[in-house]
Amino acid sequence: MVGKKKKKGSMVVLIIVSLYLLIPLVLTFLYSLFTEWITILPKGFTLNAYVELFQDSYFWQSILRTLLISILPIAICTLVVLLAMYVVVVYLPGLDKVMKMICTIPYAIQGVILPISVLGLYAGAPEPFSNRVFMLVCTYCIVVLPYVYQGVRNNLDAVSAPRLLEAAQMLGAGKFYAFWRIILPNITNGILVSVMLAMSIVFGDFVIINTLAGNYFPTGQMYLYSAMRQSGQKASAVIVILFLITLAISLIGFGLQKSKKRR
Amino acid sequence: MKKTRKKTYLLALLPFLVLVGMFEIVPVISIIIKSFMPSGSEAGVTLDNYIRVFREKLYQTAIINSVVIAVFSSLIGLVIAFFGAKAANEKGGRIGGLFMSLLNMVSNFSGVPLAFAYIIMLGNTGILTLIGQKYGIGFLAEFPLYSTVGLMITYIYFQVPLATLLLNPVFDSVKKEWKEAVGILGGTQRTFWFKVGIPVMMPGILGTFSTLFANAIAAYATAYALVMNNVSILPIRISEQFVGDVVQNPQLGGALAVVLMALMVLSILLNDRILKKNRRRGNGR
Repeated sequence: MVGKKKKKGSMVVLIIVSLYLLIPLVLTFLYSLFTEWITILPKGFTLNAYVELFQDSYFWQSILRTLLISILPIAICTLVVLLAMYVVVVYLPGLDKVMKMICTIPYAIQGVILPISVLGLYAGAPEPFSNRVFMLVCTYCIVVLPYVYQGVRNNLDAVSAPRLLEAAQMLGAGKFYAFWRIILPNITNGILVSVMLAMSIVFGDFVIINTLAGNYFPTGQMYLYSAMRQSGQKASAVIVILFLITLAISLIGFGLQKSKKRR
Repeated sequence: MKKTRKKTYLLALLPFLVLVGMFEIVPVISIIIKSFMPSGSEAGVTLDNYIRVFREKLYQTAIINSVVIAVFSSLIGLVIAFFGAKAANEKGGRIGGLFMSLLNMVSNFSGVPLAFAYIIMLGNTGILTLIGQKYGIGFLAEFPLYSTVGLMITYIYFQVPLATLLLNPVFDSVKKEWKEAVGILGGTQRTFWFKVGIPVMMPGILGTFSTLFANAIAAYATAYALVMNNVSILPIRISEQFVGDVVQNPQLGGALAVVLMALMVLSILLNDRILKKNRRRGNGR
């Protein structure tokens, strides 16, 4: 009896918290579907905001830019971390701690600190360093570094890389072959999960793009910021589309995680 | 022969060192050095920037606002998350899983989109504001969205899903048998949570708090889109020293950035200290 009552209590708490979290999302969605909302109930159902967005090539360009700027730095960062990890795992295990520390620092320089530091240092430097897009790509590499590192590290631990390496060498494989052809294929799926997480972070970034390259390389978030000043309906439609894309990215990551578990 | 091979593998470390050196370590060191340099283009070492940061009202308020908003949004978020995660754990099964998916989904809803959602909900002509005006609910009708309190309420929204996701696994450390044992000994639910449950979970709760604090104190986009200059907070004061319309002063901005960095590092270190102390005490017993 008490147990049942308690279960009901938990259900009520879950419903209240869920409502609290869902209301802003649902209202934003509804806001994008009506021409005016100046009384309690909205008036004038329309899909115009979406139709206009779909015809606006500038909008799609900014979405494409966002995708490009989320994929490129993550690809570079993953490659760079894998190369370094190869050396650390195979040749210099003692450096593991140093690498971990370097890869955790970005947590302490979250938000505005990293982009203003980079800007302050390279704004007056010669090309290509003063190139805003170059700065942006490299800064995003550092932002996603902790996630990429953690993903690679966890997966190397999960397949017990040192032992796998030993076994491969006993069977006559070279160290290079063992790492890139035996260990790497075993951890690719796991790395992709953290890549997807990193991608959703860059996709939703506003502080770095706004500080470093807002006018040079307008992304979806910058488009949203300017839409907010034009029309509420348009802005909410942009939010809905951006949110759906982020959701798709997370779902791909989630799917990868599931298929990894099944294996 | 061996020596050349040694050099070859070190080449693989090079891209990492270049990237991290040029875009993580050197920029941060340069901003720290800059904070000790006099404004303008003169050379030298000075504490003037720090004196200004702690003496001038504008920057004092920014620091205080940032700390207050971060502490309270983390605490309130933590309390809501505690009940949410507890309920999800007790319910378990499909509904618990569904709740977790919802948290994962809404944890993407922050920054500019979140600010916008709160403006259409609680802004001057917001939907909830209109409802409050019509039915005479003063709290909603005159909701102070563009203020410190409003900013805090908005921050709590992104703290809740993060905190719940982080706290959820911590509940696994609370064994069911303990609850029964407390019950047999005549303790109530409350006694259990205050005397057993929460103390056991303390390391996890503190770790979550430290993550939430760093998350809130560094947050920029929500405040930028919501209040701009109505409420002074550190990240916005920092960025305007480097970009935008206000007269720029990178040295002063550097000092502000160092203060923000120190606050974040402090919360991480404090959390580590408390954890270590607890562990030592635990061993001593």
